Amino acid sequence: MTFVDFLNLLISALLLAGTYAAMAIGMTVIYGVMKIVNLAHAGFLMLGAYFVYELHERAGLHPLLGVLLAFPAFYVVGVLVHWALGRGVPVSDKPTLASLLLMFGLWLVLQNIGYLVWGTDDRAILTPMTFATIRFGEITIPKIGLVVFASAVISLAALEFVLHRTWFGRSIRALIQNRYSCRIVGIPVERTARRTFGLGIAFAGAAGGLLALLYPFSPDFGRPFLLRSFVIIVLGGLESFSGVFVGSLILALVETFSIFIVPSSYQPAISFSLLVVALIVLPGGVAGFAARMRSRRAE
Amino acid sequence: MSAAERSPGLAARPLAVLPPLILLGLLAALPLLNLGANSVKVLFLTFVSIAASVGWNILGGFAGQVSFGFAVFYGLGAYTTAVGINEGLNPYLTYPLAGAVAALASLLVGLPTFRLRGPYFAIATIGVSEATRVVMTNLEFTGGASGYRITEHVPFRQLEHYFTGLMLAALAVGLSIIVRRSRFGLGLRAIRDDQDAAADSGVNPYALKLGAHAIAAALTAAAGGVYARYAAFIDPEGVFGFPRGVGILLMPVIGGVNTIWGPVIGGGVYGVIEEELVARFPQLHLLLYGVLVMLIILFEPGGVVGLLQRTRRFVLRRREASWQPS
Repeated sequence: MTFVDFLNLLISALLLAGTYAAMAIGMTVIYGVMKIVNLAHAGFLMLGAYFVYELHERAGLHPLLGVLLAFPAFYVVGVLVHWALGRGVPVSDKPTLASLLLMFGLWLVLQNIGYLVWGTDDRAILTPMTFATIRFGEITIPKIGLVVFASAVISLAALEFVLHRTWFGRSIRALIQNRYSCRIVGIPVERTARRTFGLGIAFAGAAGGLLALLYPFSPDFGRPFLLRSFVIIVLGGLESFSGVFVGSLILALVETFSIFIVPSSYQPAISFSLLVVALIVLPGGVAGFAARMRSRRAE
Repeated sequence: MSAAERSPGLAARPLAVLPPLILLGLLAALPLLNLGANSVKVLFLTFVSIAASVGWNILGGFAGQVSFGFAVFYGLGAYTTAVGINEGLNPYLTYPLAGAVAALASLLVGLPTFRLRGPYFAIATIGVSEATRVVMTNLEFTGGASGYRITEHVPFRQLEHYFTGLMLAALAVGLSIIVRRSRFGLGLRAIRDDQDAAADSGVNPYALKLGAHAIAAALTAAAGGVYARYAAFIDPEGVFGFPRGVGILLMPVIGGVNTIWGPVIGGGVYGVIEEELVARFPQLHLLLYGVLVMLIILFEPGGVVGLLQRTRRFVLRRREASWQPS
């Protein structure tokens, strides 16, 4: 591997990491507030992809505009789904199998609605950007990757702003810490939970749209990305926002650089193996590991 | 443990063994009616489904450890039987062999993943299942993604498969009843209710879960093996695919987890729906299952069996009420 190859791979890993972070953050907020492992995340990623695709094909809308529209559209969808599921999605202290199976059922429903509507064919969103590259000497950067990365970063920055500068965001962070104290200080727990669910789904939809710019998709689109999202939030410690960035970076680096060790046909197994390893070796994620190290040093 | 949950010993209700035995006898005599080849096929596939469903329930129901990864064992069983038959082994020897291979594999899967609890375990099994599928898709020795064909130099006798399937399903139900009534089963139930409390009262959750996993895996693998011999052709997508693992999980959930007969009912429903719907509407059946699972979790976590029990209680109460002198 020459240095240029290394740089090229590093850049593509970084670009990938940004997209991954946008993809996983929706799952983290929902998990953090409600302790629901949102298996339906995969379904909403897929719907987001088709949402952007349809707007692009039928209305001739620019895909990035479609991604922007996906935020409000999927927010409403998320709020409606949360309302419809009612007591099936309570705010709880620890994840339950009932909610896991419920979200799993929802995923099956969404996925197969996808099959009924769009069939099994692979689709792709092609724009003039898709195959364009930017060159700096020997370093080539795919333009689409850069655009997607930029959109992901902007949306994450907006989320950061909401979380730290608005009362809605503050109540989300408070709920992640302790929902009983939230009730005491007068945070409307149920309403915040519903909006958080909407927010999580909004990010899932928009991230699905972004991913659709990079990869061809079918109604089964979400499955590999669902597992990647898991890997990321598990690596990140499940409810930590900064952990999501670390997790995305680790996964993207491992996936990108493992092509030197693992044959490409075995590539899909990497994220799954990493998931199992992460769950077992780092139960608190990287953040938990760091905390443990700190406390050990303090002793 | 509530009193209602404790099943009285057989001595107290000697007649309780009769309905299952009658059912078994009826199913064994059914081919005498000269059913069409297609009906026999549906019944055979239903038996295979029931065996896998009952197997899953030993871990997922009795011990409460939901796994999305049973396609691993189903597929391993299918491939073990397939390779065994092609190497000249007696088919009936390959089923226990498939069970043994899967039980070993279940230890490999369980040793790391049982350090995780509840949903984390469930998620890890998705990873294990997908990783296994990818490896099997690339394994040259079994033909990789293009699949593996079984060549048997004996005529195809459908009824032989029918009875093999029936025996396997009966064996699975018998085993599940034995486990349920044993000290081992009691330990599993304790783990399901509260793992920490169980550990404090001298149950070893880790060992018991591994045991339940091994039994469940062996049954599922035998089902995979019996299916493989019937199908005579298997491929990684079909037997190791995620939908397979999902199917094995859905059957007991629909029928009623943590009961003896729930998984059997679920397997029956699944087998028939699968056969009737898959051919005509390939996607509709999964949609249907998704809706079913959501309805079950939201309204009747006990599945079909829970619904039946509730109806029975309702009817009994009505009758009692009407007996009261007015």
